[in-house]
Amino acid sequence: MLSIRSRRSALVAAGTVLALTGAAACSSSSGGGSGSSGGAAHKKVRLITGVKSDPFYITMTCAAQTEARAKGMDFSADGSAQWDVSVQRPLLDSVAASRPDGLMISPVDTSALTPSLKQIQSAGTKVALVDTTVTDDSIGITRISSDNEKGGRVAADALAKLMGEKGSAIVISVKPGVSTTDARIKGFTEEMKKYPKIKMLPTLYDNDLPATAASQIQSTLAAHPDLGGVFAGNTNTGQGIATGLKQAGKQGAVKVAAFDAEPDEVASLKAGTLQVLVAQDPAAIGREAVDQLAAAFEGKSVQKSIGTDMVAITKANMNDPSVSKYFYKSGC
Amino acid sequence: MTADSKEVRPAAAQQQAPPAPDGAGRTVPDWLRRAAGISELWTFVILVVLVLFFTIAAPGKFFTQYDLTQIAVNAAIYLVLGVGMTFVIITAGIDLSIGSVLVLSAVAAGEYNIHHGGPDAGWGTVAVCAVIALAVGAGWGVLQGAVVATGKVPPLIVTLGGLGAALGIAELATGGQDPAGAAATHLQNSLGFGKVLGIPWMVVLAAVVTAVFGLVLGATKFGTHTLAIGSNPTAVRRAGIGVGRHLVKVYGLMGLLAGLGAVMWLASYGTTSIAGHSTDNLKVITAVVLGGTSLFGGRGSVLGTVIGVFIPAVLTTGLIVIGVQQYWQDVAVGVVLVAAVYVDQMRRKTREQA
Repeated sequence: MLSIRSRRSALVAAGTVLALTGAAACSSSSGGGSGSSGGAAHKKVRLITGVKSDPFYITMTCAAQTEARAKGMDFSADGSAQWDVSVQRPLLDSVAASRPDGLMISPVDTSALTPSLKQIQSAGTKVALVDTTVTDDSIGITRISSDNEKGGRVAADALAKLMGEKGSAIVISVKPGVSTTDARIKGFTEEMKKYPKIKMLPTLYDNDLPATAASQIQSTLAAHPDLGGVFAGNTNTGQGIATGLKQAGKQGAVKVAAFDAEPDEVASLKAGTLQVLVAQDPAAIGREAVDQLAAAFEGKSVQKSIGTDMVAITKANMNDPSVSKYFYKSGC
Repeated sequence: MTADSKEVRPAAAQQQAPPAPDGAGRTVPDWLRRAAGISELWTFVILVVLVLFFTIAAPGKFFTQYDLTQIAVNAAIYLVLGVGMTFVIITAGIDLSIGSVLVLSAVAAGEYNIHHGGPDAGWGTVAVCAVIALAVGAGWGVLQGAVVATGKVPPLIVTLGGLGAALGIAELATGGQDPAGAAATHLQNSLGFGKVLGIPWMVVLAAVVTAVFGLVLGATKFGTHTLAIGSNPTAVRRAGIGVGRHLVKVYGLMGLLAGLGAVMWLASYGTTSIAGHSTDNLKVITAVVLGGTSLFGGRGSVLGTVIGVFIPAVLTTGLIVIGVQQYWQDVAVGVVLVAAVYVDQMRRKTREQA
């Protein structure tokens, strides 16, 4: 492990030298040429995602790459192997050492990465925060993420429609205190108040354990036989709920809404274990981030914060190309 | 060999039950007393009180066929793991790796399934998958047991290492994402959601495993040796029993049951849930300790573990049914755990003084 890492940093160092000489050559040659169009072209842009293998981030990376290539940028992406500060930080530091012109990052912690990001920003790199953010407002020229509260509302409306606008509904989420899921639950709960015949039960948390979610949904059914809809916090929770409902013989009778549109979730939608998927638009996040960085390079105005849309996918509309384009990809 | 086990048996029995008058000791078979030992009575009373409380608090909602089935189905996998853990803890050991071993077994079986038909795989593939899961689990267990048996590394550390390593290998094999198509529809519709005479197969399987290994612990030489090793390994070694070899078998059994848990998991959840087993070890150890098995070894029973698995299960289900805020559930399980063990210890103390 160590030897690989040190070899990689050696490569990065070598790359830095090459890039620096390259940049120097570029600036000297393009000095008299087309100055304005060269603003974004050849700029070195790096993307660091939260979890490398997550289809959400793969989709974001693919879109960013396409957009960056179209603008003639020098783009490459990497991501942490796990959702862990100790994994992402060395990655960030090695990218910082290569002094890119632009950095897009999904920080996995709201504060632990702030010093590293401050340093890289003061060295002249333009930072765009994608998907997740940090609490320090001075970091990043732009912050682009899904509007999670709106996503919760989208889920509530779609679920209410499938429930026939009556019955009990419940949220089963991962754990309290996560900004994204808390915003989703807030949006969902508030939107559900618009339906007077739907009764919201207190939110349950399963600590990301499908077995707990399965038992919770079955217990809820015992207490509230009129249960009509569930909003699942993430994929693991969704799987647990699906199993719980199937064992209770209630699959299909109780509608399940889940976030994201990963390949196995799409398969569940097709199979009828999930009824609503609320897809984020990671591709738009990636594209917007590249566009904002390009605007910054060209000295144009940059939007400080952008919220991307969410879309509800059901079995009825999943074959519509304008909807199916939101399915996450597992590879470019 | 028979002479050895005779020599060991009284020592183990003394730990297990109060010294009975000679006559009573003869009429009730030794294994029966151990299987249904009086030490489980207290925790059983707690379980009954909980069930009564929820039945009264939520009439017509809690003590129903639906609810009981649901509790049993959700407890099935933990029960199977708990049976193995009972053996391990009785030898004064511990196995922290079970969740990871379950995941590794599930991933091994799942990967085979993906490449041999996916969700539509036939019965042959299902059988091979089950064998793979059992073999991987047992193999990992034997490996850990072999290291424990050397006596150089304590079980806590061996299995803590195993916890990380097994999960790491599973993540390497899958890239950290649950692969799609890990379970065949045949498996899900039979073991996962199928019923026999109205009882889910999951429950039947767990009950059979529990009964078999309850008997193994109570009525066979294997069980006696397990209890004796936890009681006094030196004495057992002097009696000519291979302590190391026995430990390998016990940890192998734990691994085998984790593999079985993996099959049950794939059957009911249809996915490997790589991230969903990080606290299996704590849940199962809680259940075993609730059931009166001593963390210091030498004492315990499978029946106790059954009760220990059901106390948290009843508690969480019951609290949801009567509509108590969720945070209270964790508090309640914690309090009952400490209270149950405290009461148990008090009882033992007074008995020893008497």
